Amino acid sequence: MHCVRNVTEDLYWVGANDHRLALFENIHPIPRGVSYNAYLLKDEQSVLFDTIDWSACRQLLENIEYLLEGKDLDVLVINHMEPDHGASIEEILIRYPKVKVVSTEKSFMLMRQFGFRIDSHELVEVKEGDTMSFGKHTVTFVAAPMVHWPEAMVTFDLTDGVLFAADAFGSFIALDGKLFNDEVNFDRDWIAEARRYYTNIVGKYGPHVQALLTKAGGLVDQLKYICPLHGPVWRNDFGYILDKYQHWSSYEPEEKAVMVVYASMYGNTEAAAQALCAKLAERGVTNTVLYDVSNTHVSYLISETFRVSHIVLASVTYNLGIYPVMHNYLMDMKALNLQNRTFAIVENGSWACRSGDLMQKFLDEEMKCMTVLNERLSLASSLSEDKEDELDLLADAIADDLKNS
Amino acid sequence: MYFKTTAEHEAFRAQVREFAESEVKPYTFLWDKENEFPREVVKKMGKLGWLGVPFPKEYGGAGMDAMSYAIAVEELSRVDGGVGVILSAHVSLGSWPIFAFGTEEQKKKYLVPLAKGEKLGAFGLTEPNAGSDAGGTETTAVLQGDHYLLNGEKIFITNGGEADTYVVFAVTTPDIGTRGISAFIVEKGWPGFEFGDHYDKMGIRSSATAQLLFNDVKVPKENLLGKEGEGFKIAMATLDGGRIGIASQALGIAQGAFESAVEYAKDRVQFDKPIAFQQAISFKIADMATKLRCARLLIYSAADLKEHHEPYGMESAMAKQYASDIALEVTNDALQIYGGTGYLRGMDVERMYRDAKITTIYEGTNEIQRVVIASHILGKEPKSAAAPLMKKAGPVTGARKKMILKEGTAQERVNALAESLKRDGYDFTVGIPIDTPITKAERVVSAGKGIGEKKNMKLVENLAKAAGAALGSSRPVAETLRYVPINRYVGMSGQKFMGNLYIACGISGAIQHLKGIKDASTIVAINKNANAPIFKNCDYGIVGDVAEILPLLTAALDTGEKKPAPPMKKIKRATPKKERPSYKFHICNGCGYEYDPSKGDPDNDIAPGTMFDKLPEDWVCPECAEAKENFIEA
Repeated sequence: MHCVRNVTEDLYWVGANDHRLALFENIHPIPRGVSYNAYLLKDEQSVLFDTIDWSACRQLLENIEYLLEGKDLDVLVINHMEPDHGASIEEILIRYPKVKVVSTEKSFMLMRQFGFRIDSHELVEVKEGDTMSFGKHTVTFVAAPMVHWPEAMVTFDLTDGVLFAADAFGSFIALDGKLFNDEVNFDRDWIAEARRYYTNIVGKYGPHVQALLTKAGGLVDQLKYICPLHGPVWRNDFGYILDKYQHWSSYEPEEKAVMVVYASMYGNTEAAAQALCAKLAERGVTNTVLYDVSNTHVSYLISETFRVSHIVLASVTYNLGIYPVMHNYLMDMKALNLQNRTFAIVENGSWACRSGDLMQKFLDEEMKCMTVLNERLSLASSLSEDKEDELDLLADAIADDLKNS
Repeated sequence: MYFKTTAEHEAFRAQVREFAESEVKPYTFLWDKENEFPREVVKKMGKLGWLGVPFPKEYGGAGMDAMSYAIAVEELSRVDGGVGVILSAHVSLGSWPIFAFGTEEQKKKYLVPLAKGEKLGAFGLTEPNAGSDAGGTETTAVLQGDHYLLNGEKIFITNGGEADTYVVFAVTTPDIGTRGISAFIVEKGWPGFEFGDHYDKMGIRSSATAQLLFNDVKVPKENLLGKEGEGFKIAMATLDGGRIGIASQALGIAQGAFESAVEYAKDRVQFDKPIAFQQAISFKIADMATKLRCARLLIYSAADLKEHHEPYGMESAMAKQYASDIALEVTNDALQIYGGTGYLRGMDVERMYRDAKITTIYEGTNEIQRVVIASHILGKEPKSAAAPLMKKAGPVTGARKKMILKEGTAQERVNALAESLKRDGYDFTVGIPIDTPITKAERVVSAGKGIGEKKNMKLVENLAKAAGAALGSSRPVAETLRYVPINRYVGMSGQKFMGNLYIACGISGAIQHLKGIKDASTIVAINKNANAPIFKNCDYGIVGDVAEILPLLTAALDTGEKKPAPPMKKIKRATPKKERPSYKFHICNGCGYEYDPSKGDPDNDIAPGTMFDKLPEDWVCPECAEAKENFIEA
């Protein structure tokens, strides 16, 4: 059976939810599922904006068939060709042989690379600023290169202010019946997963997101709906989500907060991390979170690192290097272009302590605008009582820097 | 080919020699002794048209050739090496770049009075961290509307303080090395342009050598010489020609010493005959004459090539290198011929021996001359596997807070400083004796030359007592001024300060001094020159006169009798925020590849330091072949 929702009078959500997929992009855990959003516009011509993942294609087909009431689909607009949206294109083309496909040059190239037989269809290649009318509705296309793929564009419906935003403004978590941002408690239930989605998937491309936000700034007066390809449709409170995007894409922390990430083999480095958190709390620093790098998927760590201003890295030395899981976290942070954070280092080593110097070197040389506090806590195997002075100095330094940042 | 100067050249030589013998020679001893600049002589040479020897008449010059210029420098130096270099620096360094790279307006405004001898010129390239390697230039020029704002310092500048017009090199695009340097014409007397130390030199003491200080000097846009980024090219081309002048100077000094020694050897009798006829001396004289002839021919050949617009960079380097190397040998032998008599002050060979040494050092050390010569023969060094990353040297004292207190009255700034120090954990109710050895002191208040007269030492001592600190000084204050005993001076070669608080009063911050305080937890600088290096190396700074600031700070820190300080606990250094590089990154729309100018694109022969807009038009993204226009600025 169909499962659709009205976005506006003549625009429908025709996507699907997925609770069976364990790892998004086969890398990021999605314990609360994800939605694949596609939208159908019923104007003089019928227009499908994007498709969905192959695993849910049947639901999409049933939804379209129900809404078209036996008529043909006229136009398929592809904003983003990544297979979680584009995988069902060929099935649509087979079912609707007359459908015209509208997308960017690079997108058509990708369709061919993925093996879709598109060349028997009318293909309309659009560029930034092109417009197209479907009857009552006129849309304009805006290039969104590297948000987060090179072919991406967004489509803006000039008639009723709907922005088809591709992967921008998307989020993990299945919609499960709800559709709009005001039908969920976004700030309570969704923001962490929206952040985890953005930072891990789009995080690297901050400058390109900034460029898109600047272009979108020109449309903001006319903006009524943001229809992303995952997660809820935004129809109010745009300032909230735009502010988040502004922070994330400029790599500025959302809040003054401390994140302690520890890599501990037998609990000794963990104990030091705990002691540090207690010292911080004594100094009134309670906006802190503590993570065990070995038991926390790196996508959560990245997400939190984008949120906070200060990070404490506490790592054992392993094979004369940084503990591999911690190293992986740092490399991911670098890959995602994170900048402008302040770090403190706790190092541990039982015979040749190297992790502190190596982590500092990584932050100094491999990344941009990462400040490492001079104070460092160095442990030989475990936190001994005589280290309390050093621990206090470190806690003071973090608390002071947090206050002055 | 007939290797001989023309009759005109020799007539000109005779004219200059006559002038040097009558107007210069009688005063050389005095100028050398008193470090005195011969203003009258320079004025007279101007009137004679010699300050514009090689420039066309239409620009106020004498319209003579490069050889005549070389002869003029040689003949003056034959009598006084200092006077020779005044002419050389004026013509080759101060005037020639304007002649070669200036616009018509710049030539009219600046070259004409320089060539006519109404104005004196100088050239400012060398800096504390940019000697042979101009890539280390730290003086900056920032475009602000219709003018550039010039900030920084130049050292060892010949004619500094005496000259009216300066060709100055400054960074207009930071972090990209020599490609970011531009040349400017700067006039003496412009607000913010001051002269620092006048150096007490070993030789050429009749020439003036000074430090140039630029503190927010407004340089009109039209005083940019050449285009932005062409500074290094202009400097190198200027130095190519400048070498002919220095080579001539070296030759002249050696010639003077040689002639003097020959005269003496003919006169001095030992073992019943003039020593000139002792074979040991006669062979020496033969060798000296041979070296002089070699040097002279090298110089005249380079000058002739220049005159005929042929490449002469390698030849002028050979001339400068050889002439200055043999000048040391010839002056040494000349003094040797004189024996003990030549070792006495007042003897011209003694002065020439000292004068000669600089010629192997300045306008490109002789090591650099050999680099130049070798590069003409060998070409560019093959690329090393890994392209060097451009790393700017940080402050000598390591990362510092660099909080320069500018807002408010002197009292308010002093209060803010006192508050900051207390917040950092300094307890001024305790203190150490003022005579605590520097290496054991937890706090030191130090005096530099900027404190002025000796009576101002009282202000420094009062501050030391109020701050509970020991008394220290810079090297000149102990060594030259002798305001404090020699064991109080702080520096790499003196006592190293390992404690917490260092308050530098009137200390400009010579590198050796800064190295001696790099372990300090907190460095406070008080100096009236905002561009003094100490401000780049301090945690807190107040720009102001010590006479005003020190009493205020003394009052702010004074707590009456100090309790003895507990054992020193090292105060941790503040962590400065990482700064963003001054250049922009660009990112590809096709794949997200980031172009980093500090790395360049070595696989495609783009050297590190190449800015994005300087990439060739046909350059494409090395990862996905997207065209240059499909990049966005990060």
